Amino acid sequence: MNQSNEQVGVFICHCGGNISDTVDIKSLKQAINTSNTIVFDHEYLCSNLGQNLIKKNIARCSLKKVVIGACTPAKHEKLFKKCVDDAGLNPAMLEVANIREQCSWAHSDDIDAVTQKAISLVRGKVRRVQNAKPLEPIQIPINPSALVIGGGIAGIDAALNLANNGVHTYLVERNATIGGNSAKIGKIFSPEKLEEECAMCSLSPLMNEVGLHPNITLMSCSEVENVSGSAGNFKVRVRKKARYVNDNCMACGRCSNVCPVFVENDFNCGVKDKKAISLSFAQAVPQIYSIDSEKCINLTGGTCSRCQDVCKVGAIDFDQKDEIVELNVGTIIAATGFDEFDASRKPQYGYGLFANVVTQMELARIFGVNGPTEGKLACPSNLSKPQRIVMIQCVGSRDEKPTGNRYCSRYCCMAALKHASLVKKKYPDVEVTICYIDMRAFGLYENYYRAAQDLGVSFVRGRPAEVIEKPDKSLVVKVEDTLTQKVREIPADLVVLSVAMEASTGTRQIAQTLNVTLGEDGFIKEKHSKLKPVDTSRDGIFVCGTAQSPKDITDTIAQSGLAAARTCAFISGGSITLDPEIARVDLSLCDGCGECLKCPFDAISMNDHGNVAINPLVCNGCGYCTVLCDQKAISIAGYTEEQIHAEIEGVLEKGDLLAFLSRNIAYATADNIGSSAATYPANTKIIRVPTTTIVTQSMIEQAFGAGARAVLMVEEPTDDPIGESVYSLALDNFQKLKEELGDPGGRIHFKKAYIPNYRGLASTLTTLSQEEVGE
Amino acid sequence: MSEKATGTLSGYDTPECETLAEIVKRSLRTSDSIGIDRCIQCGACTASCPAARFTDYNPREIVKRVMENDCSVIGDETIWNCFYCYTCHLRCPRNNSPSQVVQVLRQLSINEGTGLDKIDMLFEYGIIFAEIGVSKLPPLFFEQMETDFDEHWLEFKENLDEVRSELGLGPIGIRDNGRGEIRAILEGTGFFERVGRLEQTATTETDSKQSFRRDGK
Amino acid sequence: MKTIEHIPDQGILLFKTCMVTNEYPGIESSSTYAFDRLGVDYFVSDEQSCCTGLGFYFDLFDQLSTTAIAARNFAIAKKKGYPNITAMCSTCYAINKKACSLLNGNEEVRTKINSIFRQAGLDDLVYEQNSLDEVDNFYHVVEIFLSKAKRIGALNTIDLSGVRVAAHHACHYYKIHYDDVIGNPENPQLIDTIARSCGADVVEWYEDRTLTCGAGFSQRHINRETSLKVTHAKLESLKNAGVDLVLHMCPNCQIQYDRYQPVIEKEFGTKYDLVHMHISQFVALALGANPDKVCGFRTHSVPLDDFLNRLK
Repeated sequence: MNQSNEQVGVFICHCGGNISDTVDIKSLKQAINTSNTIVFDHEYLCSNLGQNLIKKNIARCSLKKVVIGACTPAKHEKLFKKCVDDAGLNPAMLEVANIREQCSWAHSDDIDAVTQKAISLVRGKVRRVQNAKPLEPIQIPINPSALVIGGGIAGIDAALNLANNGVHTYLVERNATIGGNSAKIGKIFSPEKLEEECAMCSLSPLMNEVGLHPNITLMSCSEVENVSGSAGNFKVRVRKKARYVNDNCMACGRCSNVCPVFVENDFNCGVKDKKAISLSFAQAVPQIYSIDSEKCINLTGGTCSRCQDVCKVGAIDFDQKDEIVELNVGTIIAATGFDEFDASRKPQYGYGLFANVVTQMELARIFGVNGPTEGKLACPSNLSKPQRIVMIQCVGSRDEKPTGNRYCSRYCCMAALKHASLVKKKYPDVEVTICYIDMRAFGLYENYYRAAQDLGVSFVRGRPAEVIEKPDKSLVVKVEDTLTQKVREIPADLVVLSVAMEASTGTRQIAQTLNVTLGEDGFIKEKHSKLKPVDTSRDGIFVCGTAQSPKDITDTIAQSGLAAARTCAFISGGSITLDPEIARVDLSLCDGCGECLKCPFDAISMNDHGNVAINPLVCNGCGYCTVLCDQKAISIAGYTEEQIHAEIEGVLEKGDLLAFLSRNIAYATADNIGSSAATYPANTKIIRVPTTTIVTQSMIEQAFGAGARAVLMVEEPTDDPIGESVYSLALDNFQKLKEELGDPGGRIHFKKAYIPNYRGLASTLTTLSQEEVGE
Repeated sequence: MSEKATGTLSGYDTPECETLAEIVKRSLRTSDSIGIDRCIQCGACTASCPAARFTDYNPREIVKRVMENDCSVIGDETIWNCFYCYTCHLRCPRNNSPSQVVQVLRQLSINEGTGLDKIDMLFEYGIIFAEIGVSKLPPLFFEQMETDFDEHWLEFKENLDEVRSELGLGPIGIRDNGRGEIRAILEGTGFFERVGRLEQTATTETDSKQSFRRDGK
Repeated sequence: MKTIEHIPDQGILLFKTCMVTNEYPGIESSSTYAFDRLGVDYFVSDEQSCCTGLGFYFDLFDQLSTTAIAARNFAIAKKKGYPNITAMCSTCYAINKKACSLLNGNEEVRTKINSIFRQAGLDDLVYEQNSLDEVDNFYHVVEIFLSKAKRIGALNTIDLSGVRVAAHHACHYYKIHYDDVIGNPENPQLIDTIARSCGADVVEWYEDRTLTCGAGFSQRHINRETSLKVTHAKLESLKNAGVDLVLHMCPNCQIQYDRYQPVIEKEFGTKYDLVHMHISQFVALALGANPDKVCGFRTHSVPLDDFLNRLK
């Protein structure tokens, strides 16, 4: 006998009585002890002593395969795999029999019945492991470069952090310059200082650094169109839009001087003070002009070449075309920022109707020395100095109506206080009133709030109903001062709306391109609000700044630094190890029919040689392809048909209920029954499968052949990432099986798992395991 | 499934509950999603309210009193100033609806008797409606309009049938008076029973007070 | 949210309205005239009763009775094969919509009302859940006209150039069921769009544009003074905006403006050069209807003769 090759070591854990109180360990050992098994037991196998016992006996008895009878594999399977790996065995040579959650804890039957179940579970695993083949871990190198999408303050800071840590970074910005909204706001508030700082003074050096950094490839006028691949290896298609000016532009400005076309200036909130060929603003990076193709006379079919005529370096190129660039990166950071709420959605406040109703951003531009009034406080209607300014908070925020947003936009109370302070410092005679619901000067910002009060800013607690324009163009804000309970009509020369931050169109688009989840408010959803604030629903893709939620610059920078740190940590891993239990193709059996390309996760493709290829980065081992393959050329490593047949043979006894449970939620729900001290009869035998799509006709026939009372399949729910795609396929497979087998007496069943509802599963298991067998 | 009220006819509009806020939420008159618990007293309702602009009515304060279960609000005369224009309902950032809240308060006030004088001139309206299926203003309202409007209007009203037929329109009432269906339905819902009861209380009260009070007179 | 593409022009039950019937019958004849010209498939039932909206907002009618009466009218609409219940009055619109949503969403109300029907031997009135949809089966005539605005503009026979037109969108159309307004419920543009398509000089926004007409149901009668103050404020803002013609979509608003304008002129010592009409009357007029024999302008209190002469 060549038993020594096949010797299976079985280790039974007492779990300090958790198992040994309800399972007779002696009987179990006796029953399992056969010619090709050696059985050991220990008080706590998960302890160092227990693990040493395993390692020592693998060496001493030259064990080739190991079965551990202990708690659920969800708990310590990884630990035990490492343990056998350390002892020189391939981790696939280990099986864990769940004799705690799904045995000693789950049954109120007598000790004999529970012991009998433990025996069958361990026996099943012994049979299974005898059919196991070694599996090599799949390791994929991580591409060490990163992509940052969006060149606002968040993207700039993230890119610089990465680049300074030696990561080559592509920074893709859709506009002609980086800088984003921060470039517009002029002054910024900070928690510790009561002074307002110059935004551009902080931002401009960073922008220049981005432009010059050897580790940063800056792509302006560019948009991400498509992303494929997965964490560690993304392939990104970027469209570089024609700007009609070549990179040799010296930014001398002669072209703009001679251009006859004035266009709306986004930088100055739509004021028509820009030429069709222009630089976005003086500090723009890159310092390359660009042409507005929708307004340029030449590009709209007219005759004009004045800019071309005066350009000394021949940089103007009317024939420039869009360019497609392919990038390969390991990770991606979405920093696509916010859009200002369109205040005309609240027509009662007169925005767009009355010239002297502006947003805080527009007031910031009015204050900007590079703005439309060169920093002079003035009403847009006639450029006169306003004497009375009223600010309205929460425009489009904290508003459940269809035209508003439910959330608080977080920055606006501070923005209003900042602008109110600026006005009061420069023009102490101007009256400033802020109409608010709650002033939210959180944390250290409260200092700033107090300082604004000291400056004489007035506060009225109430959400205004309307803004009215009088015939003399002066405005009136109608509001109830809820503290004095009086409806007031506050006269104003300038009304400033503190509008909401909304997820930008770019953010919504990129979420779709990247296939990351958006929250109900339209921002990119983080994986965990406390513990994983910059991780998205997809591995290797991070988010920071206002793409994730409304926030001020301070919070944005905190987040962009974290996103860069997470990215560096991910890249420095060098490679990622993938779960080996995924689909494998035996090309010698494959007839190239292409059925398996129906993979719901697009993990399977035909390669250049016409062979089926599995993308290990995408495949999650659900097993659906195994049912599609008539040639049985595809199997899930670790879950081959032979292995499952062997386990069925090992566990099943006459009158049993055989339950196939999908390996994540369904299996965890069954564990929950045991750990919550609910019960079901011990004649229920559970087999863990990737998903129930791999259950075949022959498995069920084998079960009934061995006298099973009934067969149950429990699938992942549809709100699970795998269940979402697989649930309906699993249901189809179940219905097909029912049909093929004729299902006498309704003995094949199907159920959706739901972790909190472990009692539901317990009662199903109870009913089915006690059901009278028909005919 | 809606958790709206049950029971008697007034049980639908003013179900018996522990608190005013609960009554409001469970009343059939209010939206299932009414955000009364979420009110943040921002005053958008009051600032938008035509009644608040010209009278002492303050919907924000009314809501506050309902939230505080201050039952004196039922007897507050100002609740009768609401125009039911629903501007508060449109503007409330928390999806509360002072307009609907006040409808329930008025029903409570009618049930209690304090608000009876606001509807006692209308009892006949229901009877005419049941008969012809068309709403007609109660005589008392009509009298005021007669004083307000010129003879041109009166002449038109007197020749309404003729004017209608010139415009190619048929008679005012519904065919065969709806074969008594409307009366039967309103009897089934308990409408007449309730109106009868209110009418009785109103008569007793008027008799005992020996008074006749109308606004604007 | 409702969109313009959803507006039907088939199976329309033109829902009769008490204040049209009794005060401005020309609104009904104008509606049918305009529908005929625009090829709208509609039906007017002589069995349909009023919606009880007046009684409901006079605080006399209860929600159950109002809903039961609505269910009867729904049965008529379905029986006749005209399930798209379309009102000339904003209160009819709102009342019917709410009744339908209760009948669909509140099992207790539906069961109760159906048992009332059965007990009264009115089994043909029994309402089956979701047999009408509170969004897809309820319209206001202004929505039908909006969906045909281009065609109305093309068929327009009157010269409105230089005529300052302002809209008074009715509160019970856009403030109650605000989720189902076409466009932004904070600033409905339905009437404006139709008037603009006929070449009128539309006043986009005026002070108090969203202010109620002032009728306020019982307010007009029990708080007459306040009611007139509101209407006065609104008329003042229309006057300040230089408006010639105010377009309405609710006969109750029209009563408040047209009937009470002379009263306000007298009581507040002021004068208005403003005329009023319903959107149906306006569309009919644009499509060539006779001002007296179709639009019924003779029933108005503010004479339109001068205004109409100006159009010629």
